[in-house]
Amino acid sequence: MAAVLRPYLYTGGVHKHGLLIELLEDLGGYIIQKVVTGTEVNLIMLIPEKDVPVVKKQSDELLGMMVEAPLTGVEIAVISPTLASHHLPHSACDVAEYLRHPGANTNMIGLARGMGRRVSLSTDYERKLINEHDIAVFTFGSFSDCIVNKKPKLFEGIEIPIVVTGGPDLKTEDVPGADLYVGDIGRTSHRLRKIEEVSALDKLNEEVGKIADNIRKQQAKDPLAVLPARAMKEIENQVPEIQTVLSPAPLTLQLNGLRVKLPYDEFHERLEKLEFDEGVTLSELANILKSKMKNYILIKIKSKSEVGFAI
Amino acid sequence: MMNPLEIFAVESAIASEQEFYRKIIEDNLASLKLAPAIGRIKVMLRPEDSLFQMAILLRDVGTRVTTADIADVEAKPVAGEIIISIKKEQYIPELLGKLWERYGKANISQPDRWTVAISTDKAEEEAAFLKDMMVADPRHRLHENLVDFAIRVTPEGFRVRYHLYKGNRFIFVASEEVLKREWVEEAEAMLEELMKGGRT
Repeated sequence: MAAVLRPYLYTGGVHKHGLLIELLEDLGGYIIQKVVTGTEVNLIMLIPEKDVPVVKKQSDELLGMMVEAPLTGVEIAVISPTLASHHLPHSACDVAEYLRHPGANTNMIGLARGMGRRVSLSTDYERKLINEHDIAVFTFGSFSDCIVNKKPKLFEGIEIPIVVTGGPDLKTEDVPGADLYVGDIGRTSHRLRKIEEVSALDKLNEEVGKIADNIRKQQAKDPLAVLPARAMKEIENQVPEIQTVLSPAPLTLQLNGLRVKLPYDEFHERLEKLEFDEGVTLSELANILKSKMKNYILIKIKSKSEVGFAI
Repeated sequence: MMNPLEIFAVESAIASEQEFYRKIIEDNLASLKLAPAIGRIKVMLRPEDSLFQMAILLRDVGTRVTTADIADVEAKPVAGEIIISIKKEQYIPELLGKLWERYGKANISQPDRWTVAISTDKAEEEAAFLKDMMVADPRHRLHENLVDFAIRVTPEGFRVRYHLYKGNRFIFVASEEVLKREWVEEAEAMLEELMKGGRT
């Protein structure tokens, strides 16, 4: 059985950060994402649990900072009723940006006709796109009557955990269909930076982290046939074209798979034939699908019980 | 003469929601720079009826601005040009727009920040015309901003709208449903109340 991996975020100077990457490779950890901004580098990584102190020591030597990033490897859809200025950039973008701090990859989705009370609705395409993610965060407004009585119809057909943000102070059980409700993040026309707003965002991160942990726990009962991070590394090694993709996070990890930002028609066969050291191919371990997002490839990894073995 | 925002009332059945909307209105007033133009404002929120009502009394926002108000115009018939020396910079974009339209960009130069030179063979006549030319109408700009403001603060789904802008009075009613006559009448009553100046 593979070692337990812990997600961490490293922030430090570009100088000599290669040492950290080499160390991680030696230990059998994974680099999920590397972002270089000027002279700074952000590394999101998975470290084998028992080796965390070793990596910490190296990070201290480089005068970098290492913090736990519980939402690493989680892809979250942040859904706003529409893309109108009523909802964007505040507060929907603030929510998406804040969820990235603990390591999540967020996609903003603006529904075409999600606004209003009686008239709000979502299309089949939108629901399928949302269901490709691990967690859905709906950013709603300031009226409790809308959130409790009218908006929950947007949840129909959503099969992933649903998180709702809004202005009023409601309980999760008041919002039918929601797995979590976080208040104090309603419709605003200013950046969220007051004490109560930032604490609400902190609470959101914390509670979404718990939901992700819960999914991981459920998954541990019937583990995936291969770790998404390992599949990611093999793709990096065997499909060099991924290095030329300019989209942010060309390989986006999910809790039960990954999104590959390469055109489906051209690359899906190569991904299906992707071979692991154990001699099995990716198509035996996972379903390789055409994503609803652009022309990307979506890989959903099967569970051990379905495949019969895990590597 | 009213003070800016001497009455600023937001009413709703639930106190906390009232505060959210007050903040949204404040933010949008600030970003559209409308606060100095508004004397009294009252907003009524009825989400359960999908209804948003707003009444505004505007302050006196000044009259039309002519070239003579913002600059000195000097004709130089011998040189075949008109020199405009700017005194108030804020209206330069509007002024230039009008000048370009009349004389063409090629005939206008800006030797420095405060000077606009126009070459023309009818310097005297044109200078006389320019002095009285209307450069900007703050009321027109205010109307645009006011409508923009109303749409921004209204809940997005409320797309059936009624608005009235007469003199210094502005009424806005928005809903998701077909507007009822009494909703508009209620907004008119809100305006009456504001005109009396009684605390709402």
